[in-house]
Amino acid sequence: MISQSLLNIVMLVEIGLLALAVVLFFTHGIWLYVSEKRLARLSKIARDSLAQLVTRGTVNVEQMSVLENLPPNVQVIAFLEISRNLTGTGKERLRFAAQQVGVIDRARKLCESRRWQRRLRGARILSQLDVPDPLVQKLLADPHPALRAQAAEWAAAQPSPTVISAMLALLADPATQARFAVQNALLRMGTVVAVPLGDFLDIQSGRAAEAGLRVAETMAGPRFAQTALRHSQTDDVGIRVAAAKLLGAIADAQAAERLVALLNDDEARVRAAAAHGLGRMQHWQAASQLANGLRDRTWRVRRESGLALRAIGAAGTLFLRRALKGDDRFAADMAQQVLDLPEAATG
Amino acid sequence: MSEMIGSVVSQVLVKGQFAVLLYFLAVNGWYLVLLVSSLLELRHHMLLITDESRHLLLSSTLSPTISILAPAYNEEATIETSLRALLALQYPSLEIIVISDGSKDRTVQVLIEKFALVAVKTIYEQRIKTKPVRSLYRSSTYSSLVVVDKENGGKADALNVGLSFARGELVCAIDADTLIEADGLQRMVRPFLYATDVVATGGTIRVVNGSQVRHGRVAKTAVPTHMLAGMQVVEYLRAFLFGRLGWNRLGGNIIISGAFGLFQREAVVNAGGYLHDTVGEDMELVLRLKRLSYEQGGPGKIGFVPDPVAWTEVPESAAVLGRQRDRWHRGLADVLWRHRRMLFNPRYGVTGLFVFPYYAFVELLAPVVEAIGLIGLLFGLVFGVVDWKFAGLFYLTAYGLGTALTAFTLILEDISFHRYETFRDRVLLFWWALLEDLGYRQLTVYWRLRGLWKYMRGRKDWGAMERKGFRPVTASS
Repeated sequence: MISQSLLNIVMLVEIGLLALAVVLFFTHGIWLYVSEKRLARLSKIARDSLAQLVTRGTVNVEQMSVLENLPPNVQVIAFLEISRNLTGTGKERLRFAAQQVGVIDRARKLCESRRWQRRLRGARILSQLDVPDPLVQKLLADPHPALRAQAAEWAAAQPSPTVISAMLALLADPATQARFAVQNALLRMGTVVAVPLGDFLDIQSGRAAEAGLRVAETMAGPRFAQTALRHSQTDDVGIRVAAAKLLGAIADAQAAERLVALLNDDEARVRAAAAHGLGRMQHWQAASQLANGLRDRTWRVRRESGLALRAIGAAGTLFLRRALKGDDRFAADMAQQVLDLPEAATG
Repeated sequence: MSEMIGSVVSQVLVKGQFAVLLYFLAVNGWYLVLLVSSLLELRHHMLLITDESRHLLLSSTLSPTISILAPAYNEEATIETSLRALLALQYPSLEIIVISDGSKDRTVQVLIEKFALVAVKTIYEQRIKTKPVRSLYRSSTYSSLVVVDKENGGKADALNVGLSFARGELVCAIDADTLIEADGLQRMVRPFLYATDVVATGGTIRVVNGSQVRHGRVAKTAVPTHMLAGMQVVEYLRAFLFGRLGWNRLGGNIIISGAFGLFQREAVVNAGGYLHDTVGEDMELVLRLKRLSYEQGGPGKIGFVPDPVAWTEVPESAAVLGRQRDRWHRGLADVLWRHRRMLFNPRYGVTGLFVFPYYAFVELLAPVVEAIGLIGLLFGLVFGVVDWKFAGLFYLTAYGLGTALTAFTLILEDISFHRYETFRDRVLLFWWALLEDLGYRQLTVYWRLRGLWKYMRGRKDWGAMERKGFRPVTASS
């Protein structure tokens, strides 16, 4: 039999645990209440001081000493909160203040920590304040993907040739997180990336090329025309799709010609991307080839062809109406659906 | 005669009590491991998300398109508010597909009127067999809105129809009355951006009862004063915050709530979509995806992300709650039975060796063991082989650790997301946690046993659900 004394011991342990939980739960509640009140009061002081510093542009010794005397976590919260809404001169002033009160120095130290969590914290502070610090640039080669991704985010505001070249190299990063952050950052850097990205794509293949082509699609300059044409002839389906999308965004005569050729690609994804591209550039001359796409064996191609015809305008609509009376029921149905779509749903 | 029965009962009890107590200790011990695991996981997660710039995702054209699949059945009263809240979600590339599953009320008419819907030719790529689609509508004002009106076939069938219309790389399956927080999708999509082997992710479901809802969003959270709803708040916190989060680190989840889950569309379609003939279609799909990843390769990671939150209304009547729990347990039994070959099968890695056995022996059989323990104790008392003091002590011992674990879950919530802010909420949470084991838990044991019994007798119906509707914001708030 289980002895009563054993049950007593177990019960005592459980009561102890429960009592501990009660104490922790309510003590934490009281602590939260007090600290949140304190934080709100101090944050207001910090916010007011920073707002004055940023708007007036003058450094008031009294305000600076108010900021210096705040606890480090309150300083960081206040600086990061305000930094999200600032650019240009305002952000420069904020950085200056952050330097003065020691926020930037502390973040730098964190970036050098052996623990990735601390490095991440430091990198986030420096990123959000847009501090051009080589320490963060070094983190582009950090072993932890979250750090590489964070450094890429920082890099978006630091488009120097060295940074861009390091970022482009990361387009082949095995970690999706870092690769996505790099693509995103390159997009945010804007046209300054166009030339180096074009050079990069000229010699790349595989994963890096596919990632780069997606970035190039949003810039869509003539610099990418030749590289897009070259990549549209590779064996890799993903790259051909990305190249077709880029060609659709470039929208010149050569791109249109190549996209028309891609309408006959073996891969449905490529044919669909080509149809989409031709619709995007409103290339009415391809209307009859797109009308053939309405009879494609793959649903996706039929749909993209129909939408492209609708996007082209009058010429496309003519082919869609003609398809309604054709002998291919699938093409007729698709044409009908596309014609039925309200304007808002044709994108 | 009664002496002989008493002696038999005594002997059975002596042998059985050790087994029951050992079971309790093993289960609670495992819960302790889960609690520690969830603590570590939560810490890691909080480190990753603190001060992250999620808003950058909003401006990114590279974010994967998400198609929200919202099945609706007779939702004319709430559909407009729910849909407007979905349309206002913060995500850069979103498609919303509302599937009216043969609604008999004015659900479709309300949608047509309020969202300027236009009927278009009803053709689509049917990759999964479903009930026929009656009409297809697109909105003249919301480019991302698709409304499908189909014949009634149940939630699984509606979701499968949604899969046929979805164009996003990811699909988010929700209940039409689920309230997703504005940045919920941004948070939930993270694992897909961070790894290529993720096939599904789930977010946290919280109880909306007692809270104030404004325009389809939770305006002010509060712990309900209603006893059943209050205890479910505690239950949900425990299930998500330490159950699912803990499994993230210990081998992965096999459950994603049907009210809020994000999936790779191609993987789901290739797996055949949702099954019609089970009441646990959400768990079944997740387990099938997991199993297929072991058998055929491909993505198979199931992640639970604690910070994206969806709010749901829970039943406040014992009858409705009983039907829900009974259905959940039937679903669990059915899913585990369908995939029984995974049990202790090393081919399925950690899932086969740890996760599946946990669900089979702890989640499924716990009510059976608990009932045996309780009945044994009652017999012992009736036949005088156990004294009242001992019985009380045994009962308190058996449930005490569970209560302590629940209390630590509340602390976990408090130090991480801290959604319940007032002192009143804190007291109420603790109060419901303490009361949970005094009657409510035994009721859930009964409902789950009933579910198991019905499953063995072949019942597969859903049982009717009644909803009170969200509490509107009062003028003073």
